[in-house]
This record gives sequence, C-alpha cells and structure tokens, in this order.
Amino acid sequence: MLPRRFCHCHRARLQFLSTRLIGQNVSGDQYDVIVVGGGHAGTEAAAAAARGGAQTLLVTQKLSTIGTLSCNPSFGGIGKGHLVREVDALDGLCGRLCDQTGIHFKVLNRSKGPAVWGLRAQVDRLLYRSAMQREVCATALLNVREASVEDLMVEDPDASRPGLARVTGVRLGDGAIVLGRAVILTTGTFLSGSLKFGTSSVPGGRLGEAPSVGLSLSLSELGFTKGRLKTGTPPRIRKESVNFDKLEVHHGDERPVPFSFMNAEVAIEPSQQLLCHLTYTTPGVEDVVRDTLAANDHVQQDTKGPRSLHLAVRPSRAQYRYCPSIESKVLRFPGRAHQVWLEPEGLNSELIYPQGLSMTMPVEAQVALLRHIPGLEAADIAAAGYGVQYDYLDPRQLHPTLETRKVQGLFMAGQINGTTGYEEAAAQGIVAGINAFLHTRSLPPFTISRTEGYIGVLIDDLTSLGVTEPYRMFTSRAEFRTILRPDNADQRLTERAYHQTGCISGARVVTARHIASRLSEGISLLKSLCLSSYRWKQLLPEVGISQERSGHMR
Amino acid sequence: MKQGLPPPRTAVLHSISDPNSGELLDRGLLLWFPGPQSFTGEDCAEFHVHGGPAVISAILQALGSLPGLRPAEAGEFTRRAFQAGKLDLTEVEGLGDLIHAETEAQRRQALRQMAGDLGHLYQTWSHTLTRALAHLEAFIDFSEEENIEDGVLNQVDNFVRQLQMEIHSHLHDNRRGERLRSGVHVVIAGEANAGKSSLLNAICQRPAAIVSPIAGTTRDVVETALDIGGFPVLLSDTAGLRDTHDIIEKEGVRRTRERLEQADLTVALLDVVGLLEASNKLTHLLFSFLEDLNVRQKQQCILVLNKIDLLHKKELNDLHCALKKEEDLPTVCWLSCKTGSGIEEFLRVLRAELEILCGNPLLGMPSLTQARHRSHLHKCLEALGLYEYYKRADMALAAEGLRSALASLGRITGKVGAEEILNLIFRDFCIGK
Repeated sequence: MLPRRFCHCHRARLQFLSTRLIGQNVSGDQYDVIVVGGGHAGTEAAAAAARGGAQTLLVTQKLSTIGTLSCNPSFGGIGKGHLVREVDALDGLCGRLCDQTGIHFKVLNRSKGPAVWGLRAQVDRLLYRSAMQREVCATALLNVREASVEDLMVEDPDASRPGLARVTGVRLGDGAIVLGRAVILTTGTFLSGSLKFGTSSVPGGRLGEAPSVGLSLSLSELGFTKGRLKTGTPPRIRKESVNFDKLEVHHGDERPVPFSFMNAEVAIEPSQQLLCHLTYTTPGVEDVVRDTLAANDHVQQDTKGPRSLHLAVRPSRAQYRYCPSIESKVLRFPGRAHQVWLEPEGLNSELIYPQGLSMTMPVEAQVALLRHIPGLEAADIAAAGYGVQYDYLDPRQLHPTLETRKVQGLFMAGQINGTTGYEEAAAQGIVAGINAFLHTRSLPPFTISRTEGYIGVLIDDLTSLGVTEPYRMFTSRAEFRTILRPDNADQRLTERAYHQTGCISGARVVTARHIASRLSEGISLLKSLCLSSYRWKQLLPEVGISQERSGHMR
Repeated sequence: MKQGLPPPRTAVLHSISDPNSGELLDRGLLLWFPGPQSFTGEDCAEFHVHGGPAVISAILQALGSLPGLRPAEAGEFTRRAFQAGKLDLTEVEGLGDLIHAETEAQRRQALRQMAGDLGHLYQTWSHTLTRALAHLEAFIDFSEEENIEDGVLNQVDNFVRQLQMEIHSHLHDNRRGERLRSGVHVVIAGEANAGKSSLLNAICQRPAAIVSPIAGTTRDVVETALDIGGFPVLLSDTAGLRDTHDIIEKEGVRRTRERLEQADLTVALLDVVGLLEASNKLTHLLFSFLEDLNVRQKQQCILVLNKIDLLHKKELNDLHCALKKEEDLPTVCWLSCKTGSGIEEFLRVLRAELEILCGNPLLGMPSLTQARHRSHLHKCLEALGLYEYYKRADMALAAEGLRSALASLGRITGKVGAEEILNLIFRDFCIGK
C-alpha cells in the first residue's frame, strides 16, 4: 500500500510522493505538528502552526470535507461573532473566508451598545468549502493526507515537565506510522460517533462519514475521562417547495461589516445579498412531536428539562439547560410559537436551511411536522434531520494552552472538548495550533486570559469548570464584556501574539498598528478640545449637556 | 480510643490520656460529629474537660503532639464553617456579636442575625437582582436570534425599582442596629454647677442601670458604659459650657462640643432656680440654651431641670404651667439629684428614648448592624442608579450596573453567584442550540 500525500484543491492538482515499503510500517514521515481532523478547529490549528514555521500535516478521513459546515451555513452571532473577530486578530482563516463567501451579512444587537454587537453572516456552503480548501493548499508548510487515525504513539515523558507520557506520532488506518513532535486532536463529533434517526442508529460522525473508533479507545487507554454529548441538525428543504409569500422578510445590512480586520469590505455587493425569511411553529407541530415521541430515542432524555416534574428517563445523564431541538423546545415550553429562520444555503443552491428545526424523529414524521409551519406546507425534504451522539473529553484534563495534562505534546481543540459551534471550535483550534508550534520549538506557551478576550473566557471556562452540556459562547459569560468588544479584538491580541508566537503575518501587524496610531491620534485630538459646558451646549444643542459642575458617571 | 469512635452526637464519659505516654490527663465528655453535619462541615470532635489551666494545657499539648493537628487560629472554626457554606458573612458577624453581647437587646439582635435573618433579607434581594440581571442578559444575548417575550425590559425595571425602595428604607433606619450594637451615645451637658456629675452618679447608683466594665475598648475618662433596660449606653459627663480664657477649661469646652456633635441623645441639664429668675424671658432662654447644645431635633433630647428641692411648691407649679404651653420643647424631667426625687421617672423616660433609638430588635425588618453593610448597600444603590442612567443608551453598560450591584450585595453575605444567572435564563426562556 502506497502512502499517498496529496493536496486537494479546487482545480484538483495532485502531487504524489511515493515510497516503497517492504515489510515495514514506518512510513518515514516526520512532522513537527500533526493535526487530526479537518474541520473548523483542525484547519485553524494546522494553518496557525504552519504560519509559525512548523512542518505540519493535516490528516482527515475525507479530503473533500475540509471546510464543511455541518449544520447552519452561517458564522457569528452574539458572542460567537466576538470569537470570529478574535480568531481573525490572531491571523486565523474563518473571518476572511466569511467575508469572501458571505451571502447575507447582519450586525445583531445594533441598539444595545458596541460591547455586545454580534457580527453574523450566512455563507454559501459550497463556496466556503472550496475557499477553505484553496487556503489550506496555498499555505506553505501545510501538508494534507486522507486517512483515518487509529492510534496515538506515545513514549516516556520528558521528566522536566509534568505529564505521564509524551506523544510521538499517530498510527493511520492502514497501519502506517507518522511521527510528530506535537499532535492536535480536532475530531469534532467523530469520536465513537453515532447517528440517530428515530429509533435507529448508525455509527457515524456526520451523514455519510464513518466515526473514529480506534482513537476513542486509545484515549481511554491513556486514562482520559470521557463523556457523551448529543446534538442534532434540521432537515434540508428544497427551496422551490417553500412558499415565501406571507413570511417576514429580512434583508442583509446595507453596509455589511466585514469580519476581518484586513478587509475594508465584503466580497458580495450589498444589493446582491440573499434574503432570509422568518416563520413560526403552530400547535400542530407540538402534536406531531408528542405523537412521535415513542419513536424518537434521541430526544427522550432531553425532554426532561428543568421545568419537568417527573423523573428523568436516565437520571444519571446530565440535562441540557437549553433546547437543542424543536422537540425539546415544544415539550419544555409548550403552547408557544417558536421561531424558525429559513436561510439560503448558497447563491446557486436549491436548498433552504430551517434554523431552529433541529429534529431526530423518523422521516415521515418530519414531513408531517413541516406541514404545520407557515410557508412549509408543501415542503419537500432533500435530506432528513438527524441526531448525533459522540464522545467528548473532559476539558479539565487540559492546560490553558489546550495541551493535555497527561500526555505531553498532545493537544485537543474543538467539539472534542465539549463545545458547540464553528466559532468555538475555530477559537480553540488557533490557540492549540499556536501552542503546538511553540511546543515544538520549546518556546513559552501563549495563553489568553479572561481579561483579554472571549477566547480566554472560553478556554478558562472549559479547563476550570468542565461541561455538562455543549458549551456555547454568550456575552454574559464575560465579566469584562465592556472592554472585550468586537471592534477592538485586534488592539487586544494582534501585537502581543505577533511578539510571542511568530504565527502572525507582518501585514496584519502593520494594519493593527496603523489603526492603533489613528485611534490614539483621535483620542488626543478629542482631549485637546476643551470648552465650557455652556459653549458645548451652544455648539451641540441637540445633545443634553448638563451645566452642573459634577462630572458624568463612571 | 481503643473501641473506635463513640456514636455520633452522643455525649460519652471517657478517660482522656496522652497518646504517647498513656498517662491519664482527665476524665470528661466526648462529642463526635462526623461531617457534613457539624459546625464546620468537617469531622469534628469535642472534648469537654475540667476547666483548670493545667488540664487544658496538658490536653492541648497532647493534641499538639499528634501528627496532622495544630492549634486553630483565631476565628478559624467559624471561617471553615463559612467556607463550607454553613454560615454566610452576616451570620458570622452575628455570631461574633452574640459572643460580645453585653445587654439583653444586643443579645436579641445578635441572635436574630446569627439565625440568618439579616442574611436572608440580603439573599432575597440578591435573588431579585439575579433575576433582573438574568432577564437583561437574556435580552442582550438572545433577543435578536431567539424569541424572547416582549416586556422583558419592563420586568427588569420593576425589579430594580422595587429593590431600590427596599434598600432605601432599610438604610434609613436611623442607624438603629448599629447603635444597638455599639452603644447609644448619651451626653449630659449644661452649664457649670447645674449638677451634671451628680446626675451621672445618681444614674450609676440605681439598680436599673448596671455599670459594666467593658474590656478592650478605649474610652474617654469621663465615659461610662451602662446597661439601661437591656440597652447599651455610653454615658458621658462633660465640662460646663461657658466662655472662659482658661486654657484647660477651653479644651474641656471644646471636647464637650465634640461630644455633642456625635451624641445620639443629649441630656440637657439646667438649674431650675435659674429658670425662675428668667420669668418672661423663659422660652427664649430655654431655646437658646438648647441651640447652644446643638440639639437639632427635640427627639434627640431630654430636658432635665435639677434642684427642684430648692423651690416652693407654688413656684414649681407656675413653672410647670409655663413650660406646658411650649409645644416645641423636648420631654422635660423635673428632679433633684440631692433628694433623689424624680430620678426613677427620668430613667423611665431615658429608657423610652433608648427604645426609640434602638428599635425593638425582634420586630420588623432586621437592622443592619455594621458600617460595612451600610457601605456596600450604598454602593449597591449607586450601581442601580448606573443601570437607570445607561439603560436607554447602552445595554452592556446598564448590565454592568446590575452586575456591580449584585457584587456589592454579594460582598455583604460573602456569596456571589455566576452560573446562577445562566440557570435562570434557561429556566425562564426557551433558548435553542
């Protein structure tokens, strides 16, 4: 079996490196950093390590899935938007790629103050994926291989540091061993993943993709404690079967705000943005959910939310505080109309993504349920909704650098740590990638504190508190919310990361410094302008200026 | 013990021996409290021994020789109880106050506080504020993507307003609780030779007024600590107020004025003979005298007219009638320190005033007892004001106001909860993936 190492690009440029092996399993491949999994965490991690100068290998089960958005074709939102901005400030990928491939941009929370603005964009699924794959291809020192990873290779630890073992590489599905000084696991929902449809379940990490089983066992053998989490996704609906007539229309912003600090504007023409529509559930939806409850394994456990009076079906399982599916929404909060956002999947896509309608009931029931939603009476399902259950590793087993405490050089990032969301994954990925690189150079690690960024809040919450439900970022998690604004992520992070990590490009630092100097110019100018309150009142009659001597409140 | 531990929470009579030498140290009662049902939440053993210094010393030495044991620091058991969540800070303070209580009323107030009444009040406020904050956070984090009901912000406003009112009235309690805890400052003031020292002595000699030597507090030479009717009183005698060029006397007058500034209650003492001579300028004399003593409100004063033994009955009656016509005078007491007449009545009036000043510690809302409480509550109100100021312009800053208010309340009881807010959000609102 020839080990193949090739780069999958939009224009299918293949490059073979062949090595004849006879009777040996060692492929002779040696890298600085190996990243397992090509999702949002994996791509950021691999790119960050490569930017720093590490020989990096990204291993994924299916090359064509690099850059896939598993659920909602969107990035950002309130709290999540902060994360995307911070990843960009650290020279990450997702912000720039959203600007390139976004089809509907909106800043949420406009009226609530700049600390809590939520930058959000719907992206074209296919364009995002190809843009990501192009980016990965074009990143120097970043190699990609299609393979499954079945085992971790470890040896005795470096005694000068804490840890029980030290990682030396991975073993692939075909038996080949790839050596690496650092390994980052970003396997998402693939660890012993199981897909749920109604009452049946099938092994898998995502529809059409096999789970990772061997790796899960290896981690147990190494003594890592795991838990099990579940999530789900809605059905995809054919656009032509949707009646948009009476639904509330939402337009993108007239002047979209780009995610990336390097972009003055987004790629799409504001007037060309696609529309989103809003609809609601009706009582019929509740009936369908109740009637099919018996045939819906996945949701039986989480229907017993905090308001329930009867015992949980499996009392040992943690209950999620939020509602992961439409089933849990209507069961926990009956008698209400729940929002359903109909989001376009792409410029040329025939599919609509109904956000808020994650469901795991049998397909016939899904069809029946949609009938009760205005606009979806004749809806045609292109792909059914389903649930996913997967192993995650207790993130309290990690240092704030995302390196595991037990195994030196082994890092974990993304949904494997119990988070949910592309943004949370990307944020962990870039930090893990930076630290894996620093680890291979024996340089001091790079951490972000709660006072410096939402990434800091995220990692600190995970590593100190652990999770009982998939962790999602909200602004209320940040104590220092008023200084951690989306608009100052670059001022908070870029310069320091540039000095401490080597993973930030020169161009980015130049931009950040330029903004910093203009800011301080502006502030000096404002401070130099000193007039009496009387004079100000004359100049700005529409502003309420108090003429008392007391200063404004803090 | 060779037979193992005694049964939990049962007093057992037992020999207590040195673990190293086996020598018998004492025979006493043992109480074993396995955690978490103990004072500190940890396993706890109590040795009740004969109280002689040699016994205690020998047992402490023996215990100290065991590995893993060391003498507790001052207050350490209570600290552990606090850290285990058995007591909140106000209960810890109540316990301290209970130990130091010298009067009945102080004991009652401390006991109520230690039982958690004050803590409970602040906890209730914390809950209200947490709910308000949760609603506001839900509005910030979810209202544009999920379906948060209308009127959420109105609810927040209502919670905040309710809280502001309650805290305000709690603070405007005329410092009852603090006064009861530290003692009511009563100052006897008046002209020279009106009989101030005699009055002080007369009070101190009465069985109704118990003079107590309170250890550990620094006090002016002329201040006496008393328990009057269960209320703690710090009674000050003062130098006579008069214009003088004598330096020492001037200093005395200055100190008197200082005391009067801080007085909770002023006993304004006058020689009744001088009143008689004033005849139709009586009212003027009285009011200018009171003003001179810095008496701002009649409630803070008892007007005492001394030396009634020097007047005829008719003269007394005339004066009685003249004063009765004045409406703005404080309560008047007629007495003679020399004969003792009228002193009991004066003490009765004094006790009534003390009760007003200290309140009944068992009735109504528990009183705040420390400057610390007052200071945090003021900060809390200030922070709530920030919420009001910012709520239309910047939600995040308004939320900071509520967070700050919650932190201030939390500092009183020692509890500040963060995950609680998220729990509340998810309980009240339907939030999706």
